[in-house]
Amino acid sequence: MSRQMFVDAGVLLAGLTGGIASGMFGIGGGVILVPILGLLLGFSQHRAQGTSLVALIPPTGLLAVIAYAKSDYVSWQTGLLLIPGVFLGGIAGGNLAKRIPGARMRRIFASLMFLLGIWQVFSALRG
Amino acid sequence: MTIFLVLLLGIVAGILVGLLGIGGGIVLVPAMVHILHMDQHLAQGTSLFILLPPIGLGALRQYWKAGNVDLRAGILCAVGMILGAYIGGKIAVPMSTQLLKGLFGGFLMFSAVLLWMKARPSQPAAASAVAREGSRA
Repeated sequence: MSRQMFVDAGVLLAGLTGGIASGMFGIGGGVILVPILGLLLGFSQHRAQGTSLVALIPPTGLLAVIAYAKSDYVSWQTGLLLIPGVFLGGIAGGNLAKRIPGARMRRIFASLMFLLGIWQVFSALRG
Repeated sequence: MTIFLVLLLGIVAGILVGLLGIGGGIVLVPAMVHILHMDQHLAQGTSLFILLPPIGLGALRQYWKAGNVDLRAGILCAVGMILGAYIGGKIAVPMSTQLLKGLFGGFLMFSAVLLWMKARPSQPAAASAVAREGSRA
């Protein structure tokens, strides 16, 4: 088996893993794809992020949306109202990022996310 | 009133996405659950719907210009993701809200660790055009 085939198989598996996380948790999947491409397949951080963005362009979550919609687990109205804000906010955030020290921001947000995760787990155990 | 809250929430989530370079879903799902008081399943399904349009296109352009895109790997990833997302949806939908909420919490913690690790300032020697641009700025 050539090296290229080996990498291709790894990338396909990375996509599959990212996809499962995407469908299970309602997320894009980049948070899983970037570390797999970078840490396991040896892509540089920037190349991993750029490549992950390619994978997020096609509507890869379509089959998952259909599965959720069949059980009435999609709020179309809320979704449609959120799309313009996320789009415009994304542009604003991208510009803001050039002026703010990113590493510290990330760490503050990572800490908040971790605490939120603990809260979620506790509320699930309690409820 | 709720409409304004939802619009505002979208903007705040979008700012975080652009600022931190992370996916929208990881911000949107907890926001919908805790601020809009949506059910975990409903928040996840709605988040997947929001992520259908190619919102990352502008960002991709920047990486493309810097030569930091492996198109072949990206397409292969997308193929894997279509199948994976289908499997993930099939697993999550019949799950109890309780269990899903707990699993999502664990996933948040895991993602937080990944985000924290990415914040390490050390850039490997294979500095890309984007990195060089950044250090010059």
